[in-house]
Amino acid sequence: MTSSFRDNYNQNIKTLHIHCSFLQTFQKTMLQPDLVRLLTEGHVLVKSCDEYCLTGNTQEPRQSEGEEGEEGNPFNFTPQLIHLNKDHQLFEDGDIHRHMYLQDLYISEAEDKPTLSVSEFACHISGCSAIFSTLEEYEHHYNSLHRHVCCSCRRSLPSARLLDIHIQEWHDSLFTILSQRQDMYQCLVEGCGQKFSTSKHRKDHLIKIHKYPPDFRFDKTKKDKRNRQTKKQPQKDSTMDVVDDVCESEGVCEVMCDGLSHQPEQGESMETHGSEEEAACMAKSASTEEHADLNAAAPSTESSSSNPLKPGYSYRVPTNVCFGHGSVRGFRGRRGRRK
Amino acid sequence: MWRLNKVRHKAGRPGDSVEELKLKRREHEKALRQARRDRQLVSKRLLLNDDEDQSEITMDTNSGEQDVVAVLQKLHHSGPERDTHLKALSKALRDPSAQLTFIKQENSMHLLVGLLTGYDATCRLQAVRCLHELSHSPHTSVASACLPASPYLLTYLSGQSTKFTELCLYTLGNLCPDTVVKEKLLAQGIVPALASCLENQKHNLAVVEAVGFTLSQLLQANDAAEKIIPMVLASSLPSNLLSVLTPDPKFGLGPAIECAWCIHYLTCSMKDHRVLLAQGALLQCSSLLVSLGGAVAEGNKEEGMELLICPLLRCVGNLLSSCPLTDLSAQMGDVRIVAALCALLQAFLHTQPALARESAWVLNNLTAHSRALCSALLTLNLVPGLIQLLPFSQGINTMILRVLANIAHNKKDFCVQLAHRGLLSALCATLKMADQEMVTLSMNVLFMLVVSSPQVAEEFMKQGGLSLLEATQYNSEGEIRRRATHLLEHHLLS
Repeated sequence: MTSSFRDNYNQNIKTLHIHCSFLQTFQKTMLQPDLVRLLTEGHVLVKSCDEYCLTGNTQEPRQSEGEEGEEGNPFNFTPQLIHLNKDHQLFEDGDIHRHMYLQDLYISEAEDKPTLSVSEFACHISGCSAIFSTLEEYEHHYNSLHRHVCCSCRRSLPSARLLDIHIQEWHDSLFTILSQRQDMYQCLVEGCGQKFSTSKHRKDHLIKIHKYPPDFRFDKTKKDKRNRQTKKQPQKDSTMDVVDDVCESEGVCEVMCDGLSHQPEQGESMETHGSEEEAACMAKSASTEEHADLNAAAPSTESSSSNPLKPGYSYRVPTNVCFGHGSVRGFRGRRGRRK
Repeated sequence: MWRLNKVRHKAGRPGDSVEELKLKRREHEKALRQARRDRQLVSKRLLLNDDEDQSEITMDTNSGEQDVVAVLQKLHHSGPERDTHLKALSKALRDPSAQLTFIKQENSMHLLVGLLTGYDATCRLQAVRCLHELSHSPHTSVASACLPASPYLLTYLSGQSTKFTELCLYTLGNLCPDTVVKEKLLAQGIVPALASCLENQKHNLAVVEAVGFTLSQLLQANDAAEKIIPMVLASSLPSNLLSVLTPDPKFGLGPAIECAWCIHYLTCSMKDHRVLLAQGALLQCSSLLVSLGGAVAEGNKEEGMELLICPLLRCVGNLLSSCPLTDLSAQMGDVRIVAALCALLQAFLHTQPALARESAWVLNNLTAHSRALCSALLTLNLVPGLIQLLPFSQGINTMILRVLANIAHNKKDFCVQLAHRGLLSALCATLKMADQEMVTLSMNVLFMLVVSSPQVAEEFMKQGGLSLLEATQYNSEGEIRRRATHLLEHHLLS
């Protein structure tokens, strides 16, 4: 049915001559009126395009050859000629229209307005099955719940800065050492710049100076995380207190491991850590709502509350991807406690 | 006789509100869809007498059964008033139950055939009218009962009386779908009869339309490819059908529509299109599309135009799938076809999305192996318009993305041009769509763009491509993850 790309490659053709006079007229931006003119002007135009040869493909050697032969290149697009037989699904509407006409049931455009559908967006992060009708909703979801995720413990933080601080304080052994000798715990408020010797001191500072609540979700101490409750959350409305009972640690979007990928289980610690977190499965909607809370400036919570989310979404971070400590991109944190 | 002049609502009764009509139409549509799923999509046409109008059809006919019996009796006996009785009979036979009653009466068909072949021309006309009504019956028993008339109907196709020939043709067309009848008709030479009828009456557009309809009924059969199509291809039918494709502005679109559907059924059932290509089918259909596209772009959307555009699109699409590339320029002289398709896409997007989808499919087949046509899309600045269609689902955006991928597949300079026209930012959105096919295609196109030139890669990075791909590395599909990783490791981060 289709001639292969390689067959065409060998054919001999003339390249397109852009000097063709008719084309020169249209080299600038073509608006709808130009399109009309193009289509309705007579054969004069066609004649002057004798050189507009349609055969085959260019003779120039394709740089692609290297890529196609490249080892492990998973990209495999080739142009396909598609033949559709009589009963193909694509032809259904046209066939129905035809038969309605034959049976004297023709509907003119004015009478019948079919609905045109627009693609939805979906969060493809493995384990997350959220669907959105607009790109903005998707972006909000993604930025809120997936962007600043710690590679090591899979916690999601609301901002790059808080993620940085989290990684530093929780997963950096150097930090632990240094903090014994100097003030390393940064104030969480951006621009404040103060540093403290312990997280307790910082917390006090946050409460006293910046009027933060004593149970601020993004300032848990590391040892708290071990005492996580294991019961599942019912859906609650989003007040911090209520949710706080339930979620122990950083609380926002517990992103948990599951047995998703076909990757071999190299990282033991990741695995055990995963199961620990799985046991502490939390209703995503609950966590989403609380998170939406924190972003007081966030425009709306519609996306979080109306998404048909399954509770406890999870994904596995592929073991070979982690962008390193201190990077400013998406998922951060070291490879955790492996090796 | 352009049927769309009178928009008929067969299902309705006079006095039905607009809502009731819509409801009935929707029910019919549902029934048709189910029939198509069952591969039993068949329609019959009913030709109205010129002196009648719609209201007569919807009149209550439940006395039809008694009428039939009564009239038949009169017919058996009377002499000079036979044509009046026949007229009454044809009216009575509008009623489906009366049709059944008729065939159950002894010697009824024999009588009718006798009148059909008798010396009285008026009686012949009225007799064929009756047969036409009978042919409209949904019951197979009625169709089989009409068989004795079929050799005569075929013989009369070579006659010169327009109205009469038309009625014969539509009657045959209505009877065709019945398997038993079809076998007989094929044996009796319906294909050669249709061929010579079309050959001799090409100037008579009403007859052309009727031939087209009847032939389309034959060609739609599920087993047409083995039994019927070879015969048709060997006859003069294809070239004559092609010659009447251009619609006559005075007569209307009817004949062109029927003939176009015939050619569609010919092309979609087979993969070998040499006969049709040799007769210039691709050339004819594509130039017609160019002129229709032009009309549509100008805003001259004639009512019913899509009924012609649809089969033409399908012909071009399927013929392309087997047209050797070396012949493409001879077969498709006019590169404006790509502009025409884009015009059709945009014009019908909201009113007939299926037509937009089919136009996109044809564009795919055009661009799949022709660098020149890909180039034309760029040079004629049609790409931004295509990119704007990427939000629309149900097969439209996937096909359009294929077209763009076909263009990108031509490598460097085309990729750079595509990037300049906004494809990169569009891809950043399409990669997030729910449709997995869109995501896969988007990854493929992205790859082609990014590897084409460092500038494009850089532009992609500027638009936040890096974090987009990093996120894609956590996609639930392994294939997608692999691709994102490959792209990052080999082309963007190295």
